[in-house]
Amino acid sequence: MFKVERLSSRIILFFAILLTLVEATSFVLVNAVNTRQARYTIDDELQTGERVFRQQLELRRQQLAQSSMLLATDFRFREAIATNDLPTMDSVLKNHSERIHASLMMLSSSDGTLLADTLSDIGTGRHSFPFPDLMRLAREQGQASAIRVVDGVAYQLVIVPVRAPLLIAWIAAGFAIDDRVATELNNVTGLHISFLSRNGGGWHQLVSTLPAALRAPLAEQLRNGAIETNAAVTLTLADQTYESRLVPLGTTDTDHVIAVLQRSLDEAMAPFSRLRTALFLLSVYSLLVSAVASYFVARSITRPLATITNSAARIREGDYSVPIETGHTGEIAVLADSLNHMRYGIAEREEKILRLAYEDPLTGLPNRLKFNAGVLEHIQRRQNGGGRFAVIMMDLDRFKIINSSLGHEVGDAVLKNVAGRLRDLLGHSGIVARLGGDEFGIVLPVNTADDVCDVAQRILRELETPVSIEGQSIDVGASLGIATFPTDGDDPSTLIRHADAAMYAAKQGNLGFVLFDPLTETERQDQLSLLSELRRAVERNELRIWYQPKIDLRSATVCGVEALVRWNHPQRGMLAPYDFLPFAERTGYIRVITQWVLDAALRDCGRWIVDGIDLKMSINISTRDLLDPELPQLLHRLLDRHRVPADRIALEITESSFMQDPTLALNTLKELDAVGVQLSIDDFGTGYSSLSYLKKLPVDEMKIDQTFVRNMVNDAHDLAIVRSTIDLAHNLGLRVIAEGVEDQHCFERLRFLGCDQAQGYFMSPPLPEDQLRTWLRGSHWGGGRGRGRTAA
Amino acid sequence: MKFSPTAPELLLIALWGLSPALAVAASITVRVGDESGIPVANAVVYAVPASEAPMTGKAAGATIDEVNKQFVPYVTVLRSGGAIAFPNHDNIRHEIYSFSPSKIFKLELYSGTSVEPVVFDKPGLVVLGCNIHERMLAFVYVVDTPYFAKTGSEGKARIEQLPAGAYQLRLWHPRLDVESPPRPLTLTADSNAEEEYALVLGPPPMSMQDR
Repeated sequence: MFKVERLSSRIILFFAILLTLVEATSFVLVNAVNTRQARYTIDDELQTGERVFRQQLELRRQQLAQSSMLLATDFRFREAIATNDLPTMDSVLKNHSERIHASLMMLSSSDGTLLADTLSDIGTGRHSFPFPDLMRLAREQGQASAIRVVDGVAYQLVIVPVRAPLLIAWIAAGFAIDDRVATELNNVTGLHISFLSRNGGGWHQLVSTLPAALRAPLAEQLRNGAIETNAAVTLTLADQTYESRLVPLGTTDTDHVIAVLQRSLDEAMAPFSRLRTALFLLSVYSLLVSAVASYFVARSITRPLATITNSAARIREGDYSVPIETGHTGEIAVLADSLNHMRYGIAEREEKILRLAYEDPLTGLPNRLKFNAGVLEHIQRRQNGGGRFAVIMMDLDRFKIINSSLGHEVGDAVLKNVAGRLRDLLGHSGIVARLGGDEFGIVLPVNTADDVCDVAQRILRELETPVSIEGQSIDVGASLGIATFPTDGDDPSTLIRHADAAMYAAKQGNLGFVLFDPLTETERQDQLSLLSELRRAVERNELRIWYQPKIDLRSATVCGVEALVRWNHPQRGMLAPYDFLPFAERTGYIRVITQWVLDAALRDCGRWIVDGIDLKMSINISTRDLLDPELPQLLHRLLDRHRVPADRIALEITESSFMQDPTLALNTLKELDAVGVQLSIDDFGTGYSSLSYLKKLPVDEMKIDQTFVRNMVNDAHDLAIVRSTIDLAHNLGLRVIAEGVEDQHCFERLRFLGCDQAQGYFMSPPLPEDQLRTWLRGSHWGGGRGRGRTAA
Repeated sequence: MKFSPTAPELLLIALWGLSPALAVAASITVRVGDESGIPVANAVVYAVPASEAPMTGKAAGATIDEVNKQFVPYVTVLRSGGAIAFPNHDNIRHEIYSFSPSKIFKLELYSGTSVEPVVFDKPGLVVLGCNIHERMLAFVYVVDTPYFAKTGSEGKARIEQLPAGAYQLRLWHPRLDVESPPRPLTLTADSNAEEEYALVLGPPPMSMQDR
């Protein structure tokens, strides 16, 4: 079993097989019909031939009979017979015989004695008529005729009576059936004619028109085969086929003569074989023509297919540039067109996928992948030739607040806007990428550290212009961290990590931008190690609470304290909150610390109540704490435990902490309010809370950030801020506390502005609990509070 | 040798023939039939006297007419020496012939003319044919006795005027190949012998175109 793979071969083969089948079928049919037709024709010829043959014989018989009868009525002849005049009889008989061209004539007396014979001289001997049976027949029928063999020659014999007027003699006359006769019959009938006789066992050829070589085989065939007369028999004589008819001519008990009429099948078939040859040649010819035609048909199909296949292969290789052209119309063109569309589609999608892989879909800037690759590229470009470039990490400030307060759509718009600005500013000279969220990455060639600072400042300046979205003006700021190749690293991940660290430092310090400093990195490493130490700090009771007094400005006496946590680090000594709290806040550990602070502060507070020290206590709550729904219950439990009335406690919350999740924060604030504690907004002025939101908060007091307070004496703007804040708070019904009071002047000014309370180093730094007690007793701010029970 | 009796002579012969019959009249009545008893006509019966005595009287003549291309009668018995006249009643020519050994002759009979009667002087069968009309056939049976007769359609024949004495009664018929064996017969005067024959007949003799 072989398989034909090629379409063109299959088409050609199909047509060839189809045509061959058709041709073969028609050839077989035509041949069969022709053969049958030839046989019919031969049978017809044979039947007609036999009829003609018999007519010829009958004609001869009648001719013989008539001429014999003519002789029989001759008076002289009869007279000679009647008078037994043998010489006369003999001469008349011979004479007549010659005249009618008879081959033999005999005269017999009525009793069967031979009187005269043209074949032989009778002489004086007495001979008998050689055909007594024919004489009997003639006596019955008036005359008789038959074909008989005499001395190896067949004769057609007629016997007629001689009457005078009664029967006196018989005349027998005969024509020899010789080659001449056979040839004549052959000419008339168009058939081969053979006469055979059987005497005893075998058949003997008498005469025949067959070629001499076939005569013996014919006799042989007849000897062997059954002789079926008056029917067509097929005889094969020396490899030649003859349709034959056997015609019996005379039968006696001992003697048979038959004529065999034959027509050569091969001769009869000759025209048909010529037709067959012509048909065969025609078949071969049309097969060739159809093969050529189907080859062209197949090629017209497969050539455009090959073209399309090549094009498809090109598409597979990723080459989408060459359009598929077949130069055809119809289905092929439709197919090519479809492939073309597919080609465009694939090219487009591939481009899109590539874009998605390396591009940020929102801003259209390169993504982190592309950025990393770009950094690597810059490194490789400079490794040989030298040169510097800066990797800048940029994080938008307060973006989370924008996103959560104004919605993601606005956030996205801000990102797009920022991206556009950065691109316009730096896109032509370096890479600007969005790395995710509000984080951007920039690669920029630089020459000196000054260049780097210049670039950073340009970026920050560029971002100073507020973003205007749907009529809303939104301030965006950013923190930038910068690492420079090759000084800050010579591989992408190091450069990016260092820039990231610097950026974090900038953000922490609210510094705008920070150049990477290996020390910063060390600090960072320190912070990392702090985590495990911080865990130990709580367990080992290394945390302390220091208290900074708050002075009522009207009475100039202490009215409360702010609880501030300190870490008594075994190696580093006492650490301020900003050394570890931001870290605790990031890691989530702040909750544990807050719990510890609350517990410790309330315990002290409970003791102070017992000792008669009447001071309010403020405790800082971090952003994360505010999102902890369990905080109110915890507070409630601790208040109960240490027997502290809720109104003695104020929780300080930074303004920015609300803004992360204002709704949840508001809920928590309301619950805390319900507990009965007072709420204070810390660092007021640094956040972006709107007044309408502020109005909803259940707060009791407001703390003005120390940056304003510190500069208030020198800066009119800050003074205006402080003043308006105080006015605003009072108008909202809130207490106002100023922190960062460091001198008398500031104290007096605040007092003048109507601020309610103040805290700062001017009055007292944060103090451990025992020192606080001493301070209360000794300081003029104390107002006698420290003296109560201690003295007792 | 020709014998042509004139009319007076014929009359004399007739008278002579009658005279003895008047004196001593014996007769033979013959009935001829075939095997199944059907009467056979045209049978010739004749009696030959046993004695060597010469027979008196002259032979009577006969006539065989030609009517409608047929000889009439078909069979004629004639005493040898008798003559037969062949008047031609057809309006066509006939050419009568005989190749019989007793009498070989040929006679052309033209319509409307008459020819001399033919004398048959030897006993025996003479078969007459016509060379022109080959189916014409007639038999003349010539006998050496005056005592003969021919059966009619009833198969009867009567020989009269026979003198008493011994006879051989003979019979011939065209459908017999040979005469039947002679029967010895003794006749007394005024007696009538009655003989019957049952013949085994052959096929009717054929002429050229007839069977």
